[in-house]
Amino acid sequence: MATKALEVPPQPYTGEKARLTRAYDYLILVLALFLFIGIFHLHMMLTVGDWDFWQDWKDRQWWPLVTPLMMITFPAAVQAVLWSNFRLPMGATLCISCLLIGAWIARYFSYHLWNYFPINEVMPATMLPSALVLDAVLMLTNSVTVTSIVGGMAFALLFYPSNWPIFGMFHVPVEYNGAQLTIADLFGFQYIRASMPEYLRIIERGALRTYGQYATPLSAFCSAFLCTLMYPLWWYMGKAFATTKYVKNI
Amino acid sequence: MTKTMMHLLGIFCLGLFGLTFAPNAVYAHGEKSLEPFIRMRTIQWYDVRWSQDKPRVNDELVITGKFHVAEDWPRAVPKPDASYLNVSSPGPVFVRTERYVNGQATAGSAALKLGGDYDFKIVLKARLPGRYHIHPFFNLHDAGAVMGPGHWIEVTGVPAAFTNPVKTLNGDVIDMETYGLANGIGWHAFWFALAAAWLLWWVRRPLFIPRNKMLQSGQGDALVTPLDRAIAAGILVVVPLVVFGAQAMTDSQYLNTIPLQTALDQIEPLAPVVNTGLVQVKVQRAEYDVPSRSMTIVTQIRNSSDQPVQIREFASGNVRFINLASHQANQDANQGIDDDTLVAPQGLSIDSPAPIKAGESRIVRLTGTDALWATQRLDGLIRDTDSRLGGLLFLIDATSNRYIASISSAVIPKFD
Repeated sequence: MATKALEVPPQPYTGEKARLTRAYDYLILVLALFLFIGIFHLHMMLTVGDWDFWQDWKDRQWWPLVTPLMMITFPAAVQAVLWSNFRLPMGATLCISCLLIGAWIARYFSYHLWNYFPINEVMPATMLPSALVLDAVLMLTNSVTVTSIVGGMAFALLFYPSNWPIFGMFHVPVEYNGAQLTIADLFGFQYIRASMPEYLRIIERGALRTYGQYATPLSAFCSAFLCTLMYPLWWYMGKAFATTKYVKNI
Repeated sequence: MTKTMMHLLGIFCLGLFGLTFAPNAVYAHGEKSLEPFIRMRTIQWYDVRWSQDKPRVNDELVITGKFHVAEDWPRAVPKPDASYLNVSSPGPVFVRTERYVNGQATAGSAALKLGGDYDFKIVLKARLPGRYHIHPFFNLHDAGAVMGPGHWIEVTGVPAAFTNPVKTLNGDVIDMETYGLANGIGWHAFWFALAAAWLLWWVRRPLFIPRNKMLQSGQGDALVTPLDRAIAAGILVVVPLVVFGAQAMTDSQYLNTIPLQTALDQIEPLAPVVNTGLVQVKVQRAEYDVPSRSMTIVTQIRNSSDQPVQIREFASGNVRFINLASHQANQDANQGIDDDTLVAPQGLSIDSPAPIKAGESRIVRLTGTDALWATQRLDGLIRDTDSRLGGLLFLIDATSNRYIASISSAVIPKFD
């Protein structure tokens, strides 16, 4: 039964051809792994940056707004390539996995070993639940439009609750000389960052709280709406560059 | 030609090798990088002291000092509506456990007032062994880091001995070094495992060329099996269930959580310490002689106090020119100062060194000559966008009462 479940669809190649195409698969996968670790991590550092680097930047308004919006980009483009050309519904999961591998390497070696920050202060956020859902929606619907709307919204809406089990405990209050801070704020105060003064934090600013104290759902829905637009934009960018027309003269 | 290119390539490779495997330690952290007019005319530091210079891991190091916020704040620099009293160190080799400005505890950023006088106290706890150059400094919003004086601190002991216990409002005592780490790694590992399973589910089967060929030949539907669809449907059910279930569990476990705190501290200045009016100093002219690296400041000093006063020191951008003829000069030069303090050996020369009598007004020419103008990159002032000198002039009377004036003036360079 288990063997039957693991059976793959009939293949067009057998023998030496099958062996060669499989070798090509591994070659591409290894290259893709390093490529996505590098470029997607760079993209994340340049766009999300401090919101993902530090505990005391992970706020209720900007963090859940900016992170999904910037993180749906590469998954959309890679999904366009892998789904349109190969019917492989793993573009988002592959991208986010690579990103997190790169992020963990950087946080451990660069932030912790090289710059002495405790690793719990610089833990990255996860977007793997969102990525799995995005891949599943694309596969089941085979539609860019539906994936943009349903998948894009799910991608953003799942972000904050996915990360709350990791980061919620850092929002427990502590008393500091007559004022209350979160443990996350205390990290920022105690562990000296010469180039990151407190006032640089872009957190808890904006008009979302005028609807009450529940800023996070509003921020998440705002991000969800924007992700429905960002997803097709990057899907078509992925499609535009998934071509050999730029290299046909080589 | 080829040989030359090979030689050049060889030299380049050797250089690269040298840079990679034989790096020299770099100790600077940008204290001279900011333009001189900002270092001289924004935060004017004085009386900075360190409680010890050889703490062990977990020992306290207390930095105290004072600063004056210059009245002649440069127009090119935004006003200090948001600033942050920081400590320059190579990463968190210390943790900052307490910080006070004018006796008020402050954990966030603060607004400063032009012309205000402030004192500060920073309590650090040694975390990692090593020898570090520690400065207090101010991050000024949209301007940069204005360094205070630096001091070498040698931390001894074992890194593993460091602990950082903190009591939460719930009454729990946590160690900041490890709090939440295992939980965070656990959740990341869980989602990584699910993602890896999903990726392996697809990667185990032939991928690119065979699938593309089948798709091109109209057999795309065969590439996704009913079981694949069932698993994807399962993901759409299970993943949100786990996510929202875990969120609810976290909420029930940590009932009282609060958002990040963003308050801007409002700290009132002390009663005036600098420019109190008892001794008034007005600069008539300042000249910088480039070849001899000498700054001459012509001042008009009016002593409105009831005691004769004597010029003791001129300090600018952390460089100190002490009047060696002053009766407290030797004491000043040695108090809390070691070889890394920027004291000009030749001191401050004064054309009329006799004390200025009570009620007297006198024109005094001060000259500070030293290579420190160049080595501290303060001589770049003459090519700054705002070529004005700033600094603190210290005067004392016979009973050791101190009068401080924050002075400023345009500087005229003499190039030869």
